[in-house]
Amino acid sequence: MKKKIGVYICHCGGNISDYVDVEKVRQAVEDEGGVLLAKTTMFACSDSNQKDMVDDIKNNDLDGIVVASCSPKLHLTTFRNVSERAGLNKYNYVHANIREQASWAHSDDKVGATEKAIQLVKAAIAKDRFAESLEPNVITAQKAVAVIGGGIAGMKAAQALSDMDCPVYIIEREQFVGGRVAQWGALFTTEETGKDLVARLYKDLISRTNVIIFTGAEVITNVGSIGDFKLKVKISPKDEIIEINVGSVLMATGFDSYSPKDGEFGYHQIDNVVTLPEFKQMVDQGDKQLMFKGKQVKNIAYIYCVGSRQEEGENTYCSRYCCTSTIHTAILARKKFAGIYNFHFTRGVRTYGKQEVLYAESSQLGDIYLQSNEETPPIITQAGNKTIIKVNDILTEGREIEVEADLVVLVTGMVPREDNSVGTLFKLPKGRDKFFNEIHMKLRPVETVIDGVTICGTCQGPKNIMETVNSALSAATKSFSYVSKGILETEPIVALVDSGLCEWCNLCSEACPFDAISMGSEGSKSIAVINNSVCKGCGMCTPVCPTDAIDLITYSNNEIESMIDALANG
Amino acid sequence: MSGQQINSSFDALVVGGGIAGGETALNLANNGFKVLLIEKELSIGGKMILLSKVFPTLDCAACITTPKVSEISRHPDITIFTSSEVNKITKTGLNSFEAVVVKKPRYVVVEDCTGCQLCEQACPVNVKDQYQFDLVGRKAAFIPFSIASPKAAAIDIENCVLCGACEKACPTNCIDFTQETEEYLVKIKTVVLATGFKLFDPLMIPRYGFGLYKNVITSMQMERELAPTRPFNTVLRPGDGKVPDKIAYVLCTGSRDASVGNPICSQICCMYSIKQAQLLMGTLPMADVTIYYINIRSFGKGFEEFYQQAKGMGVNFVKGKIGKITEKENGNLMLRYEDINEGIVKEAEHDMVILSVGVLPNQDAAKLFKAEELKLDAYKFISQADTLESPSKTSIDGVFVAGTASGPMDIPDSILSAGAASSEAISYLIRNK
Repeated sequence: MKKKIGVYICHCGGNISDYVDVEKVRQAVEDEGGVLLAKTTMFACSDSNQKDMVDDIKNNDLDGIVVASCSPKLHLTTFRNVSERAGLNKYNYVHANIREQASWAHSDDKVGATEKAIQLVKAAIAKDRFAESLEPNVITAQKAVAVIGGGIAGMKAAQALSDMDCPVYIIEREQFVGGRVAQWGALFTTEETGKDLVARLYKDLISRTNVIIFTGAEVITNVGSIGDFKLKVKISPKDEIIEINVGSVLMATGFDSYSPKDGEFGYHQIDNVVTLPEFKQMVDQGDKQLMFKGKQVKNIAYIYCVGSRQEEGENTYCSRYCCTSTIHTAILARKKFAGIYNFHFTRGVRTYGKQEVLYAESSQLGDIYLQSNEETPPIITQAGNKTIIKVNDILTEGREIEVEADLVVLVTGMVPREDNSVGTLFKLPKGRDKFFNEIHMKLRPVETVIDGVTICGTCQGPKNIMETVNSALSAATKSFSYVSKGILETEPIVALVDSGLCEWCNLCSEACPFDAISMGSEGSKSIAVINNSVCKGCGMCTPVCPTDAIDLITYSNNEIESMIDALANG
Repeated sequence: MSGQQINSSFDALVVGGGIAGGETALNLANNGFKVLLIEKELSIGGKMILLSKVFPTLDCAACITTPKVSEISRHPDITIFTSSEVNKITKTGLNSFEAVVVKKPRYVVVEDCTGCQLCEQACPVNVKDQYQFDLVGRKAAFIPFSIASPKAAAIDIENCVLCGACEKACPTNCIDFTQETEEYLVKIKTVVLATGFKLFDPLMIPRYGFGLYKNVITSMQMERELAPTRPFNTVLRPGDGKVPDKIAYVLCTGSRDASVGNPICSQICCMYSIKQAQLLMGTLPMADVTIYYINIRSFGKGFEEFYQQAKGMGVNFVKGKIGKITEKENGNLMLRYEDINEGIVKEAEHDMVILSVGVLPNQDAAKLFKAEELKLDAYKFISQADTLESPSKTSIDGVFVAGTASGPMDIPDSILSAGAASSEAISYLIRNK
């Protein structure tokens, strides 16, 4: 049991102290058993406070510390590092979250928030009394990365990894690499075609000895975890199965284009209604005159935000790339073909950043912009052989304006891949928008909660090419950092089986969401065996064990019970 | 100038210690490369460390920045020079550059300063505090801000009256008026430019009355009023200290405006204004907040939902560009604008106006290179040599760009751009070993 615990209660510059009386919390816990010192601090995470903590630990020979501040998601590593720098094993530090769980949750009740904070800190102290020094598990890391998806993101990530002397496997489902970009013509801002851009990258990749490209290939099984993923890849047309072993997996599986429902803005009901990707191909492939179904196209109407920013429907997000892509293609069309008139039915043009100049250019060229509200989208009707688009245009005081169009382009946005089998295989979490989700948009933007699996490009959310490449290179650097040293340290907070008590009933293995428990034996007896590099320390196995044979390291029954006592006794 | 020359060498020189430069330095150092990080301000952390909360997650900016800053400042492979500037970079060959770094005197021995603030109390000189964007004052002997790194005092020599009061008050004798400018010649193998952006100066648009009407402030000033380390501990209008209850945001102040020489969109103002509006609704539940806009550009992950959330909270969005602002006797402001939805010119009274100022290029980096040409784009941001395929490459081989030095971007995009720049720099270093 610890006798010299240091407790630090953070103001978080008002985030906590506006609602929780931090001084009162300090006074309430300073006489708790085992507590040697209790302090408040403006920002526990600040450099100066970290220095103070290191000094305290060294000068008072502290054997444990409790930090009561924000969520451990933000600062667990910060304070673990503080402990280590002071020579105290980092597992002797326990965190109490009094921001998300007290001050923010109870901003309407300052007295209650303070009382709850006191209990949370007391519980953390109770746990810390039992804390023991632990050493991380050291595992070997295969110095190789699997890049899933051979579009622009996957290709750039592979190139970067190869540059860093890291062997790469690109696993592409289609017969060719290049993804969506390979299908595109001239690109903003360079006017290079998508085909040329992809060809340039492909030529570079095949010249490298440490890049292996599998096309027509799909990952069918995944066993293992960070440092040691064993993947089975099925390669068409012979359905040959190849096994690869990598230390990290980089996801670059891209997006699907939104596919309008039948009748949505006349799609599949009115002849001359197409989607943006279809239109881009028409412009790229057309010659002199823009023809559609044997008829020359002059008036083109673009209906924006189809499948994006939906009022009713799942896709509440903005697809980010479509405004610019549409305007760029519309300009190309008017420059390439004679007699084109462009009418843009927008919901507010979002040509952010330098893309703004494209919008200005298009307006100067004479493109007409109309805008409608969310509540009153444009209406498309067919009268005889005419297609009419009608809108109440808010740019002209809500006047009803009609345009007769030869072609209607539905500006369809990006949606997550309909086929999520590879996401399921790696148990990747998704955000509200159903795209793969990162751990933290700013702190860990390409990492996922599945250790060793990084994400980039449009499988993470809509992006343009430049943004996709930036994220791909970031993910490559991150994946490289997992495998570069050949060894990895993982959390020692894993389940521990008492082989004497275990009677192998299989309940723990069924409860485990990470397939970390399997049947093993000790002598003639069957027992549960934990794979330490797969176990995430989630604790799902401990309550289902009928003989109490499984404990979670740092969350033993002693520790949990003493925390409950502290919480219950206030 | 002492003319002192200490020759030392590093793998990479990172110019700018904001969030992009810091992230780049960390990425490089974590992969085993030695980095020299140069910051011209007294603290690293750039603009982000001064923000309140950040969109669209409403994380507290300090909570995200401080651990990064502390990791950077303690990393054994990162050497940081604050209040320093790079004067000149010369390419001396493949994989080889020489840089002249000038370190201005702080007049405080940082290692000995405990941050006790006794010098601040003793100093008789009051000047405007640039880190609070002139909302309040500071002393000539001062600690830049509470979460600065290094958290050490500095003497603002231009305003110092050399009375010696700070020296007498200092318990560790760390104030040293004999410090001089130091010049260093360093050898490096690669350079990452993370020189950030400048904020548009609203004095350029006299019809908005900034500088003339006290209750017209910039969005950066409001950012400070809302920050955890806020100067007034509440939101108030500077003219008379009244807590405002009818607040207006003027979007596109200095952006999408060829008349002030900036035709492009600044990419962040819509979102930070919406964020501030949400924070204001929380701080001042009775206040009305109106955002005057041309187009709302909530394009990033979770941004559109954040915009809809603000509408749901009661933030008033009016489509119309503000033409002119005039002041009434009571300090309130009259905003003249065309209400696009109704097609008529209107006037509205507000008691506080926030100008959502845009992002302008920081052209300092262009002057660094003498023999080679660092190309700028049409808007004077650092030009990307291969925008789509390698966004962080510049016109000089071995020189990369990270963050807003290449154009407006938000924090998540700056961090990804820094990730890309570090990846390119690492590739370059390994390739040319």
